[in-house]
Amino acid sequence: MPIWAVARQMIAEGIRMKIALVFLALIGAVIVGLPFSVEGDSTLSGAVQSFMAYGFSATAVLLSMLTIFMSRSLSDELVNRQIFLVMTKPVSRWQFVVGKWLGITCLNAVFLVSAGLTIYGMIHYIRISHGSGAGEAERSSERKALAEEVLVARHALRVVLPDFSKTAEREFDRNVEEGAYAGIPDFNVEAEKARLRKKHEARWRVVPPLSSRVFRFENVLCERSREVFIHLRYKADVVNYAPDEVLRAAWVFGDPANETPEYIVPIRHRVDRFHSIRFPSDAVAADHTLRVEFVNRNPFQGERQFGNVMDFRKSNEVEVLFDVGSFEGNAVRLMVLMMCKLMFLAAVAVLMTTVFSFPVASLGSFTVYVIAGARSFLMEAVDFMGVGSDSMFSSFSAFAGQLIAHVITMAQWVVPDFGYYDGVETLVNGRNVGLVWVLQGVGELVLLKTVIVLGLAVLLFHRREVAEVSV
Amino acid sequence: MVKQSLPVVQTAGLCKTFKDFWRRPRVEAVKDLNLAIKPGEVFGLLGPNGSGKTTTIKMLLGLLYPSRGRISLFGKAPTDVVVKARIGFLPEESYLYRFLVAHETLDYFGRLFRLPKALRNERADRLLDMVGLKHEAKRPLGEYSKGMARRIGLAQALINDPEFLILDEPTTGLDPIGARQIKDLIRELGDKGKTILLSSHVLADVEDVCDRVTILYGGQQRAAGDIGELLSKRDVTQITTPALSEETVEQVRGLIQKLEKKDILDVTHPHQRLEEFFLRIVEEAQAANIVTSGARAGGALPEFLKVPTAETTADVVETLVEAADRPSVAVPVTPAALPEPAVEPSREVLDDLLSTPSLRSDDTAEEPAAPKAATEPPRASRARPAADSGVIDSLIQRAEDGENEGSK
Repeated sequence: MPIWAVARQMIAEGIRMKIALVFLALIGAVIVGLPFSVEGDSTLSGAVQSFMAYGFSATAVLLSMLTIFMSRSLSDELVNRQIFLVMTKPVSRWQFVVGKWLGITCLNAVFLVSAGLTIYGMIHYIRISHGSGAGEAERSSERKALAEEVLVARHALRVVLPDFSKTAEREFDRNVEEGAYAGIPDFNVEAEKARLRKKHEARWRVVPPLSSRVFRFENVLCERSREVFIHLRYKADVVNYAPDEVLRAAWVFGDPANETPEYIVPIRHRVDRFHSIRFPSDAVAADHTLRVEFVNRNPFQGERQFGNVMDFRKSNEVEVLFDVGSFEGNAVRLMVLMMCKLMFLAAVAVLMTTVFSFPVASLGSFTVYVIAGARSFLMEAVDFMGVGSDSMFSSFSAFAGQLIAHVITMAQWVVPDFGYYDGVETLVNGRNVGLVWVLQGVGELVLLKTVIVLGLAVLLFHRREVAEVSV
Repeated sequence: MVKQSLPVVQTAGLCKTFKDFWRRPRVEAVKDLNLAIKPGEVFGLLGPNGSGKTTTIKMLLGLLYPSRGRISLFGKAPTDVVVKARIGFLPEESYLYRFLVAHETLDYFGRLFRLPKALRNERADRLLDMVGLKHEAKRPLGEYSKGMARRIGLAQALINDPEFLILDEPTTGLDPIGARQIKDLIRELGDKGKTILLSSHVLADVEDVCDRVTILYGGQQRAAGDIGELLSKRDVTQITTPALSEETVEQVRGLIQKLEKKDILDVTHPHQRLEEFFLRIVEEAQAANIVTSGARAGGALPEFLKVPTAETTADVVETLVEAADRPSVAVPVTPAALPEPAVEPSREVLDDLLSTPSLRSDDTAEEPAAPKAATEPPRASRARPAADSGVIDSLIQRAEDGENEGSK
């Protein structure tokens, strides 16, 4: 009960002191105002995707700021000495710290749900109001595309790459026989084999004109039926395309050798864009594998074959998508992930204010927020700095650089990778925000790291003499 | 044989040294302090500014940790939540939440004591009535004057019906009415068996209500003991009577010269205290229903604060037994024992209380080293004794006897 009493007090403070209301008004203004300023790629799906991306991202940023600002409550109680009255009541230090964290978390939860409901309402507003000047058929088509590609929760499967190591080994052996590596100082066999594997993969990804490429997918665990449709998504990344910037080719779905029907889908797709192709799910074999072939040949009679070179880049991997849930469920799971991050940030903010005055604490919390958001980038930078090389003491700059690298490497054990748990893009693309992913987020962000940080906050606050005000 | 109760507060060799950023000693605020506050005692912690009073209190409450020495409250560490549940604390300033209204403030602190909702509401209402702020219960505390906030501070200190009440400079910021009410409240609570630690540099406050005092200076204990013992002038006797004629005064003067071979040092008409005069004026204004946006006359002590503690009930029996064994002795009349005019504003409950037998224990009986011959009166009678006209009668009677003997 004391924990909840402290939490209620925190919520009352946030509302009465108008900090929370200001952020709520900001979130509301951003969400309601966005549809009038963001258009996307002029399609209905594009407008909704842009709105959702900006809306959820802005909500996440503003609630993170609110979290840091709300931690001022604890700092204020120390500076204004209300803590004298609270700590002389039968309230343990840990109950007080957890109560503060719970108060921030409750406010965040209420605001996040409010923002989510507002976004949901605005999506329907955009759906109704978008393209009011267009014909009914076009609008209907756009709404269908929105329902099938955006407002869904689809599981995405990536292609299973062939094993390039054998071809790489063969080329390597041939090169050795030909003496191609003779006389090369410090020759690294494994590095050369890896280079050859990459080379063969890069060649595989390129499909010259009048040739084809087969993609295989495994664990396609969708319902297999002629009535149920699944999608293939790819980017028409074409080199040497036609002057009208249209790729003319065909996709073939299914594997008669594996007792499935075969569907041939001729395409006229604008180059340099993502495209989605809908096909019956009985093309998936009984062993849940799917064979898909791209044929780089113009299937349309009377239209000129152009020398298109198709590049299926790794960054734009071909995917097979099938429905696994509703958009609403997906949005809820996304918000759970967002909430996990806010809970961790709230714990950091409470930890900082148990030790430092508010200006220092907010700076510290903000730094952690930035590090968590840019952790993957920072880790790449650390790799670039070359942690572990033995030249640390060769110069001051090397020493400083590696010291920073080591600190960041250690920090990653406590500071989570917010980027990894960023589900906004997944939701916006109509992908499934997987339950396992969400549970992983709850486990790492809340049950592990939030508990560690809150535990540290309790420990430090327990040792602190609250009557001695820090500056 | 008097049973020795476990002290509510006990410190041994208590020291507190404040350090700077580099952990170098900066100020030695409290040095080797040994305190023992017994159950039911009103204990005064006296000292000038910076003498270590508040630091001592903060250590007793677990807000500061001692540099050396030991503290026990009810036999446990001050940070123990079980101990905190038995304590009420009014800090030297009212550190309240400006955004809450008075009732919410009391409700919040009641929640921290895990009080049920119905009880919280009941106590909040009664305490607001007691401190005279029931009509301002819905105003945010940020709009309160300092004195009004102080009253809410007092109310929050009583929300849990504490066994041990710590009041740090309780009358600071209060108008004379509020200050008087606080002192009356301390007396009432003391009578009901609450243990009270009063820290103040307002000497009159301490003198009016405390049983024992410790005087601190420079963080060290300079004097300690029973307040009656410390303040009593054994070489002077004061007699207060209704106004006497010059002739009677001269007769009394002659009588004393004859009997005691001493002169009367001073014969004056005592002044009414300014506090009493002020309170009478305000009481008249209140009786005339003159509107005020500030605090009004406080109400009665809430019922939940009137119930004596279990320890006190046990002590009552001991007190009664001991009182029966103790021989009757003459009562020296001291300035502190002067009766006060009845000028208290709306104190029906207080009057009721004063008309009922006190449940307080006689603390002097528990003081093993206290000299019994001096015969300090019980505190209630010290506060308001009736004028002892029998003393004058006996003096006149003795004079007449002496004159008769002289004439023989």
